Amino acid sequence: MQTTWGWLPAIYLFLGGLGAGALMVAAIFEFFGERYQSDFCPTALVGATVPGPLVILGTILLIFDLGAGLREPWRIFYMFTHFSSVMTWGVWLLTFFIPVSLVYGFLEVLDTFPAARDWLRGRRWLHWTKFLWNLPLRRTKRVFAGIGLGLAIGVAIYTGILLSAVGPAIPFWSTPAFPGLHIPLMPFLFLASAFSTGESLTVDLMATLFVDGRIPRGRRVHLIHLAVITAEALLISHLLIHAFGEGGAAAEAARQIALGQHSLVFWVFVILLAIIFPFVGHLYAAGLGRHLKPSGISSGISILFSGLFLRYLILVGGIHAFL
Amino acid sequence: MEISRRRFLGLVAAGAAVAASAPLLKGTLPATASERPKARYALVIDTTKCTGCGACIEACRLRNHLPEGISYIYRIVKGNNREPWFLMIQCQHCANPPCATVCPTNATYRREDGVVLIDERLCVGCKYCMQACPYQARVYDEERGVADKCWLCLPWVLGGGLPACVEACIPGARFFGRADDPNSEVSQLIASGRAQPLHPEFGTDPSILFYVIEAE
Ligand code: SF4
Ligand code: SF4
Repeated sequence: MQTTWGWLPAIYLFLGGLGAGALMVAAIFEFFGERYQSDFCPTALVGATVPGPLVILGTILLIFDLGAGLREPWRIFYMFTHFSSVMTWGVWLLTFFIPVSLVYGFLEVLDTFPAARDWLRGRRWLHWTKFLWNLPLRRTKRVFAGIGLGLAIGVAIYTGILLSAVGPAIPFWSTPAFPGLHIPLMPFLFLASAFSTGESLTVDLMATLFVDGRIPRGRRVHLIHLAVITAEALLISHLLIHAFGEGGAAAEAARQIALGQHSLVFWVFVILLAIIFPFVGHLYAAGLGRHLKPSGISSGISILFSGLFLRYLILVGGIHAFL
Repeated sequence: MEISRRRFLGLVAAGAAVAASAPLLKGTLPATASERPKARYALVIDTTKCTGCGACIEACRLRNHLPEGISYIYRIVKGNNREPWFLMIQCQHCANPPCATVCPTNATYRREDGVVLIDERLCVGCKYCMQACPYQARVYDEERGVADKCWLCLPWVLGGGLPACVEACIPGARFFGRADDPNSEVSQLIASGRAQPLHPEFGTDPSILFYVIEAE
């Protein structure tokens, strides 16, 4: 196992993925009209408002993880400068994602709670935001949702490319998605996991808690989540099978994860909690058209936890090529 | 621990005694050694002579004022229990260095003479380079929060001296010289084909370190 990057990076990769995934769900609800089936849509509300703070928190953790960047913070600005580095792309993506998602969340709050606008009118010191609430609300919101969706996909994929970009140094991280092609698997896995955690927060948890799981086109929403969970399962199995077949450091990583010292975490917290249990829960929900409280809350929480554990396992599985 | 830039400034003074070309060293290392545009260094390690004693590890630690237990060189034991042999690993000064590609701040760069350096004034300590180096040649300077690694004792070399590891090697398993001079010992070792880069399949094109490996 490797220790250069451990829990802290796992947490900020998770927060980045969760924020990106939640915004993707909200934007999809926005574009396909589910948002407007009722006045109060907790999925879109949480999916729009939460990503900004989550990603800000993740970015703060990232900065805390920097050695010299924490002591001499101006050095962080150098991180914008080297475009061959995937980390530089990430810093730019976060720089755009955070304000866009904050504005999107702000507009969604104004749309959901008309009283918020009156409250704002009464606050002199907030009048500088006037230009935002005077625009045609829904059309502006839609623009920000669209930009946010693109950036969210970028953020989710970036967390995977960050790992795969180390190339031959860490064979487990650079496992190809398709045999023979130089397309890495990690970005797809991180995108799927981001979407799954985003959906578990906004749909499984929020919609279940606040509107009793009654979301428009619930059956389809749960089928989509089912497909994403299946994709995750296929990607994880492909990752491990390929790593075992490749031998060397990749096989050692796969061995530690599936059979060795991390196997308990892997089988319980990832396979059982992220795959099998939510799969059954969503199958049930897809049949019913909505989550019942127990299945919604339990699969929501288990997917969130397992998203964090999955990232942790992938990070500690980053064993360097044997020399 | 006082190393790198401060260390370097100290070295300029110390090196002046050894070095005729001390004026070269103007406070920070020049990005290119314009005075010697064609200099290409090579370090060959003959694993058939290396006894794995670790004198190079210790010499490197002392010259670079590294804390106990940290060195730019580490040892891998190969072979079997009865006939072990040793690979001493340090930065290979790759011509195509992945550490520099992934560095978000441009702190890691490659000089024209092939030496890969870290400008620690730029480094944020993200450790991405430590992940991307397939030779695991980088260490992390906990005290100052920056990445660190073998710099080929460049100030000594530019001043006509030798890297500490080469000076310290007891069985004489380390050869250092200029690869652009066909008469040098290292050039001849490389030309003979006995000295090869380590793991060329990584695609990083190690351009300074070569190993003579005849065991296994
Ligand atoms: S050996 Fe590692 S640290 Fe040195 S140049 Fe190559 S990739 Fe960079
Ligand atoms: S630790 Fe420093 S040298 Fe290494 S990649 Fe980060 S900024 Fe660059």
